Parts: sequence; structure tokens; C-alpha cells
Amino acid sequence: MFNNLLRRLTGKSGSRDAAKKRLKFALVYDQLEVTDDTLSNLQHDIVEVISRYFEIDREAVKLDISRGNDLSALVLSTPILGAKRRA
Amino acid sequence: MLGKVLVITSGKGGVGKTTAAANIGAALAMEGKKVAVVDMDIGLRNLDVVMGLENRIVFNVVDAVKGKCKPQQALIKDRRIENLFLMPASQSDNKDAISPAGVEDMCRQLRKEFDFILMDCPAGIEQGFENAVAGAQEAVVVCTPDVSSIRDADRVIGLLYAKEIPPVLLVNRIVPEMVARGDMLSHEDIIDVLSIKLIGLIPMDDNVVISTNTGIPLVSQKNSNAGAAFRSVARRLDGQPDLPLEVPGARTTIWKKLGARLGLGK
Repeated sequence: MFNNLLRRLTGKSGSRDAAKKRLKFALVYDQLEVTDDTLSNLQHDIVEVISRYFEIDREAVKLDISRGNDLSALVLSTPILGAKRRA
Repeated sequence: MLGKVLVITSGKGGVGKTTAAANIGAALAMEGKKVAVVDMDIGLRNLDVVMGLENRIVFNVVDAVKGKCKPQQALIKDRRIENLFLMPASQSDNKDAISPAGVEDMCRQLRKEFDFILMDCPAGIEQGFENAVAGAQEAVVVCTPDVSSIRDADRVIGLLYAKEIPPVLLVNRIVPEMVARGDMLSHEDIIDVLSIKLIGLIPMDDNVVISTNTGIPLVSQKNSNAGAAFRSVARRLDGQPDLPLEVPGARTTIWKKLGARLGLGK
């Protein structure tokens, strides 16, 4: 109680909120950890789909997971050689 | 009717799996159920000392799984609590001495004779975990209110769902005073993060150390808060799933009373 009062006066919060925030982040981060196999299967499938629409250099395709403080993203980069003519 | 196999697990070590297994087992037996508690921590046995049965070991779980003896021969009968039995771990073998299929087979035999079979799982998620969960229908995941243990619990919960073993959560070592002053995760915080059903909240209790020192279970001590909490966990597992949760409360101090009077309560 006395601590509560002290905290109100000083505007400091307990470590509980920090724990919860860090925990949530760690769990999301853990779930994003994928095996190299999964990533290479995903890359293979994506390349298949893109190849239906564009001529791409299959060897130059790069797929990565980038992690930031607030969000994580799947980043794919590929040079486009040309668009495929639609039949 | 066949009994139920429950695995007590956590991922992280030192959160109170063995204490939980011993006390839930003892409490279920005190409710009149026939209970076998199996120490699956092969090579690092401890359930025997926690239950005070360390000087009566003849056969162990590795002998029973490998068929060197009948499962019944590896079970030690508790002399204080009727219908409570312990199957100790082997201290000399390692985890590869038995296989999940062998454990499953032994569990099938035990279910014919016991109402509850509690498997005390080792820390980790490797072979020892695989062996311990092999015959289980349900799981009790133990965690403490700290970040590392909750993270490991999350991982184990995922593995259990993948094996179609539904888990419930037991939060151990809650210090109500620390929760009240905002320095410890509350059970609501933990449930918010893990999204899992709670089976019990166990307060931090000096009697746990005393109980391990003497080998007398907490649940048979009248003055233990943790013992009382374990008794209600047993009742929830044994046909009273809706028994309300008791939230460990902070002791009422003079500051609190004064604070409440002044309208400063949280």
C-alpha cells in the first residue's frame, strides 16, 4: 500500500508491466522462428507463383524474416527480367 | 473403468513439478482415490525423497518398463496415506534406457488398477519429456510468475497440443505482496499471455522447504497455505472442475487498512 502511494507520487510503475511486455514480445518472436527448411520451401512456392506472371532470375531471389521492435516482416526481393505476355 | 494418466510438466526446471506431483497425488489419495505417482526423471530421481519413501526402493520404473518386474512390484505403498503408491525413477540409467512405446504400455496396465496415474516429467523437451508424456491423457503444466518459466510453459503447451494432450496450468510460488505492489505477474497476466485454463494458484510457502526436509507431504499439514491450495487442485482434477479458484491474498497490514480508510486502495 505504502509502495503504491509512493509510486503514485513518483510516477514510477512496478516491474510487472515490463515483465508482461517483454514476455509477450518473446512469445511472438519465438513463434516467428522458422527452420531453414520451411523458409526454403516457402521460397520455392513463392518463386513458382511469381514465375507465372514475371520472368525472374530464380537464383537471385532472396527471402528473409526481418525483425523490428514493433513488427516483423517477411521480405522478398527479386530482380524482374520482364513481364510475361498473357495468352 | 480405466484410470486417468496425468503428466506434470513445465519445460523449465525448478518450478515445482515434483512438489506438485507429490502433493496432488497425496491429496487425491486422501480424497479416496487409488493413486500411483511415477518419477520419470530417470537418472535424477527425487520424488522418493520428497514423498519420504527413499529407503524402501527395490525396483524402479526402468525395471517395470523393460519387463524386469511387474509394474506392481515397482510400486512402493505409502504407509501414512492409504491408496498412495510411488514408482521411483532409476538412478543409474539414463533417459534412453526406455522408450515412449514402453511407457505407454506400462500406463495401459496401471490404468486398470489405479484411478489416477501421475507422471512427474523431467525438465526439458527431449527424450525424457517424450517418455513422460507418452501414456498421458491430460497434462498439468507448472509455471512460476516469472518471464523465463512462462515462456517455457508456452513452448510445452504448444508441444502438448500437437500431441493432442490437453493441458491446464498450475501457477506456483505466487507472492501476493509482490503482485499487490506491481512487482510480480498476476495469474490474470499469465492467463492473458498463455490463453489456457487454470487448475490452481499456489502461494509461496515456507512449509514447502520444511516438507521436503522431513518427507511429509504438505497436504497433510493443517497450517500450510500451499497444502490447502494443492488439496483444491486435486478436487478440481477429481470431478469438481468448477470449484472456484482461491486467489492467494496479501496479508492485511496496518498500511493497507490506513490506505483503505483514506480511499487509496487500488
